[in-house]
Amino acid sequence: MKINKKIIEELVGYLKEFNLSEIEYSEDKTKVKVSRSLNNSSTVLHEIDKNKTDTKKNIDTSLKVTSPIVGTAYLAPEPGAKNFIEEGQKIKKGQTIMIVEAMKTMNHVPSNHYSIVSKILVKDGEPVEFGQPLISVK
Amino acid sequence: MFKKILVANRGEIAVRIIRACKEWGISTVAVHSDVDADSMHVRLADESVCIGSHQPQNSYLNISALMSAVDLTGAEAIHPGYGFLSENAKFAEITTKHGIKFIGPSSDLIKKMGDKIEARKIAKENGLPIIEGSSERIISVVDAKKISNKIGYPVLIKAAGGGGGKGMKIVNKPDELEKLFSQAKLEAKKYFNNDDVYIEKYFKNPRHIEVQVLSGKNRTIHLNERDCSVQRNHQKLIEETPSPVIDEKIRSNLLNQTTQMVHNIGYEGAGTVEYIYQDGKFYFLEMNTRVQVEHPVTEVATGIDIVKEQIWIANKGDTTLTQEDIKPRGHVIECRINAEDPSKNFQPSPGIISVCHQPSGFRTRVDGAIFQGCKITPYYDSLICKLICQGRNRTEAIQRMLRALDEFVIEGIKTTIDLHKKILSHKKFVSSDFDVNWLSKESFY
Repeated sequence: MKINKKIIEELVGYLKEFNLSEIEYSEDKTKVKVSRSLNNSSTVLHEIDKNKTDTKKNIDTSLKVTSPIVGTAYLAPEPGAKNFIEEGQKIKKGQTIMIVEAMKTMNHVPSNHYSIVSKILVKDGEPVEFGQPLISVK
Repeated sequence: MFKKILVANRGEIAVRIIRACKEWGISTVAVHSDVDADSMHVRLADESVCIGSHQPQNSYLNISALMSAVDLTGAEAIHPGYGFLSENAKFAEITTKHGIKFIGPSSDLIKKMGDKIEARKIAKENGLPIIEGSSERIISVVDAKKISNKIGYPVLIKAAGGGGGKGMKIVNKPDELEKLFSQAKLEAKKYFNNDDVYIEKYFKNPRHIEVQVLSGKNRTIHLNERDCSVQRNHQKLIEETPSPVIDEKIRSNLLNQTTQMVHNIGYEGAGTVEYIYQDGKFYFLEMNTRVQVEHPVTEVATGIDIVKEQIWIANKGDTTLTQEDIKPRGHVIECRINAEDPSKNFQPSPGIISVCHQPSGFRTRVDGAIFQGCKITPYYDSLICKLICQGRNRTEAIQRMLRALDEFVIEGIKTTIDLHKKILSHKKFVSSDFDVNWLSKESFY
């Protein structure tokens, strides 16, 4: 059996052109199926490379306190009140650093470090995801 | 009839209201926050308007955004549902001023019933039994001590603007009073912007019983009572009708007195008068001037569509129903399905519902706003769905509910389905031997 290279090349061309992961072509008794994993495609690789260089650029080894739950972050115990913490402030382990509200339940987020707040990473009233860094400490 | 109604709510109640409107042939406008754009109520409504960001104060509580949506769509009436702006007298007043019908009672009555001290007074004047306590707000600790000594400990300090258990303090002994009194005042100020508090006798193990009413300009009728004594932190979890603990004499007294009071105050629309019940006596607690979460329990028992009646009364002023039309049948139970993990102290459980199979079958109703692939966001209440089952008697209702709970499959998030199975098979529930504090004392996990 002779494989027609041209058909394969043409099909690969279509895969890329229409951004497909799989294409099947049949003619008489010949059936050609070409597939590719989108994860290995050049565009994704390019993005990963970019991410790599990004992390190299700003090496961030600082410790973070992350959100224990998805919800809305509040920096102060109530509107108009003083914020739980300020940048540059010393904090104790277990001290409340902010509140994350989920389904009308107010969850106090404690610090897991005895340290100094270097940066508050979220704004008051901002939606936060599980595991999202809320503050960085040093 | 109205041509177009704007539904100022979200989730299952917005879906419930849209369904009623469709059956009346009324066009519907859904409003939603940015994160709710793909939700069920938006999909079911004829039109939708995005009114703000995820935080309730920017969207579902944003009166000016809601009024703009009314203007934009030409809606003639607003249905507020429950929660959010449903008991906000100012909102009712603003809509009325703009010639838009607020589906509910007058702003004046909302305001009066929203002030718990005022509501207590009205109930008393209209012959309802009230809990022994102060008839006016208590300003000083000296007065608080005087009244507490008179009624006897334990006493309960409550906020006039209160609700949901906030600003409420149980005082067991005289020496705790001073501290708790000032705490209650502070909390009341914080949550309700009103530091008025009052003191009542505290009941250790009451049942929660409430009466559903429908009232037009022409007459007031009741739709029997509901018993909502399975509660957690003042939040109802299971409701049923009729109450398994009151006899016919007490029931008829309760229903007649409630109907009389609601008629006397000139109430219009659907409403619920809540009572606590202990040792064979009932006492007025408060009146909810809106449709309630557990209204389907009564609908299934009576065959009356409360939401459609609400809309009718709002449009015509009168009700066509008479007391003789209300003939409840059998026993009905409702289980609230919340996105919470009961095994982890009811921790909220937002996420994506990956698999969703809702039960059906004989006398089985599901009121919800969920579907496979829908996202339960962390920004709103955890109630996602309600399961309502009817039986010829309480035993059959429990059996049917257990059957339906077994069919219910929700994957991707944690829910209270499993807890409901445990409660409904518990001997205390089966024998109706429980009160509002039972759930917090019992360990199911």
